[in-house]
Amino acid sequence: MRIALLSLVIAFVLPVVSAAQSATDVAEGKKLFSGLCVTCHGFDGAGGAGPPLNRPRLLSAPDDASLRNIIAEGIPNRGMPRVRRVTDDEMRQLVAYVRSIGKIARPAVRGDAARGGQLYAKLGCAGCHIVNGTGGSLGPELTSIGWIRGPEYLRQAVLEPAARLPQGNLPIPARGYNEFLPVTVVMKDGAEVRGIRLNEDVFTIQIRDLTGKFHSVRKSDAAVVRKEIGASLMPSYANRLAGGEIDDLVAYLSRLGGAL
Amino acid sequence: MLVAFVVSVHAQVPYERLLKAESDPQNWMTYAGSYKSHRYSALDQINRKNVASLKLAWAYQIQRAGIVETSPLVVDGVMYLTEPPSTVTALDVRSGRPLWTYSPNIPPDVIVIGSPPVNRGVAILDDLVYVGTVHGHLIALDSKSGTVRWDITVGDNKSGYYLTLAPLALDGKIVVGVSGAETGIRGFIDAYDAKTGKLAWRTYTIPAPGEPGFETWGKGNGWQTGGGSTWLTGSFDPELNLLYWATGNPAPDWNADNRPGDNLYTDSVLALDPSTGKIKWHFQFTPEDVHDWDSNETMILFEAQIGGRERKLLAQANRNGFYYVLDRATGEFLTGVPYAKQTWADGLDAKGRPFRKKGIAPSLEGTLVFPNIGGAANWFSPSYSPQTKLFYQAAREMGTIYFKGAAEYKPGTAFTGGGGRHVQGDDASGAIRALDATTGKMKWEFPLLSPGYTSLLSTAGGLVFGGSEEGNFFALDAETGKPLWDTQIGGAVRGIPMSYAVDGKQYIAIAAGFTLFVFSL
Repeated sequence: MRIALLSLVIAFVLPVVSAAQSATDVAEGKKLFSGLCVTCHGFDGAGGAGPPLNRPRLLSAPDDASLRNIIAEGIPNRGMPRVRRVTDDEMRQLVAYVRSIGKIARPAVRGDAARGGQLYAKLGCAGCHIVNGTGGSLGPELTSIGWIRGPEYLRQAVLEPAARLPQGNLPIPARGYNEFLPVTVVMKDGAEVRGIRLNEDVFTIQIRDLTGKFHSVRKSDAAVVRKEIGASLMPSYANRLAGGEIDDLVAYLSRLGGAL
Repeated sequence: MLVAFVVSVHAQVPYERLLKAESDPQNWMTYAGSYKSHRYSALDQINRKNVASLKLAWAYQIQRAGIVETSPLVVDGVMYLTEPPSTVTALDVRSGRPLWTYSPNIPPDVIVIGSPPVNRGVAILDDLVYVGTVHGHLIALDSKSGTVRWDITVGDNKSGYYLTLAPLALDGKIVVGVSGAETGIRGFIDAYDAKTGKLAWRTYTIPAPGEPGFETWGKGNGWQTGGGSTWLTGSFDPELNLLYWATGNPAPDWNADNRPGDNLYTDSVLALDPSTGKIKWHFQFTPEDVHDWDSNETMILFEAQIGGRERKLLAQANRNGFYYVLDRATGEFLTGVPYAKQTWADGLDAKGRPFRKKGIAPSLEGTLVFPNIGGAANWFSPSYSPQTKLFYQAAREMGTIYFKGAAEYKPGTAFTGGGGRHVQGDDASGAIRALDATTGKMKWEFPLLSPGYTSLLSTAGGLVFGGSEEGNFFALDAETGKPLWDTQIGGAVRGIPMSYAVDGKQYIAIAAGFTLFVFSL
């Protein structure tokens, strides 16, 4: 396994030069990218809440036409907004920059994915997460998480799960609402429900509790509806991982979905 | 039986009937219910005491794909509804069954940049129904059959002009405005002869060389592509004989490099002589706008005592986050206070001009400013109740990270110079706010989960009807904001509510998602 990884890394450090790519376009594109894209895709496209773009092949954008289309139209329900109203020049510059970072050497993967996989099993992650159809469904599915998220985001998600809840990955709730947001509801008769918010409107809220049971609450029947912004039902694993183990776990998660 | 064969010689909706629309609440004959744009119904059969038992009377499934932002008209038992992009359908108001439908031939390469291809309603005058289209036409239809009487081009769609607004019918004239600032059009307001479609007058919202205000565009050619769209229906005061029409953002939206100056008359209200189109006065809300804060929002006309004397007033909750009250006879600025979070101005001076903060301009790395690109208000209708003397407005509490970009003018393409990223989800919210119409002071608010696009209807039953992005449709107590009835109608409420009565029964109509819902007791 280790050998296979190493050879992949070597493949990426080989410089690829495109004659068609103008250095000016890349430089201008980097400026645009730094304003419009880094929040999700990270500096230099290293990934974050959005997928890393420093890959030679982007699964959803194998060619420049499809990359332009994704920038212009977004990816509905994947959190990628439309970037409308860029000029043709700006679009060309953005595409040139994104392609250029796919040719930059990626930092070597620090951890051991195989050991990370064993840790995943040992820590009981499958109690709440599904990978390839197996596991519990309280937390987000992780089958393709390495394709969706960058390694730094995954590291933070394990060490400080409450720091940033996912947004825009599920069709419901829409419009950038926190997904898997913990909520506590205390009914007027004193009954209490804690779980994750599935959906909400002006008058009602829909909750799945820790046992998976579904609750429909009319807000006017509740004494308290507490949305626990900044909290997560997932515990931090910062104190449960020995030195280097977090790297192994991130390496494992990063490979889910076929990504490196 | 013989009567049925007699050809009517009387026009169905003469101008005199529109003048008295407020005293004919069984019908809803103009976009906002009356020339004063109150979106208020004097019907009180549905009221505070019984609204809890409101039920669905009928529904009509919209036949055309797209966002439905229509405000239906109802005249003598027939509802005239628009469907996206520019279709008109007549329905039986008792049963919801269609009577006729008309769809113009919209070319497949139609250019609609700056908004979705929506339509907000029709106008009716005499025996004709008027619709503006996304390919830039104004079309007059026979109100009985939907047959075209005339079809004219208002603005060249190849250059980005298109129409989404409900036209306004005056005495023998049909007034329309245009959309298209995001392609760098030069905006205008047009009046057409109602019977023939012949242009009566055109007033550009951007002065040409030699005209007053031209000096506010710098020395270049920025004025030629300066935007100033006129995309929402105006208001009218027949006694003062003044037509009020508001204008949109300057172009390019987020990059003012080629238009240094105030950019008159963008983001303004113009008071026009309806017989000539001559500008009698103007007031600019946002000089040299760089945030896309069109000022087209519906203007409500009302009267109140200010400083011990009765004044004729015009009020608007502007997209820039401020609520304005002007003297509508003179254009004098009287009041301007925030009604939603705003971070761009340190208030307004004695003449209503904003004290603009530093560091609020769009930038390459992004600048967070409230309100958002969509504004604290937008196309959705406010309401004013003469009973409560409150101005009801859905406010959007949301910021945008504004970016400045390059702008190059090519006819019929985006000419915007940047963009923005919303701060949304749990970090944004909305509210329905009741403002003292004269002072802008908030009397109550009803919180919404998301910043919405909900229009409001107030009624003599002491109610305010509104909706949410999540599909709630509800009635609030107009005095207190307390919710009295609500239902889930399964789609974002983007339609514009109105009320009518037939056979002695009051109805409330609202479109949401892809359906028109009509409720009654």
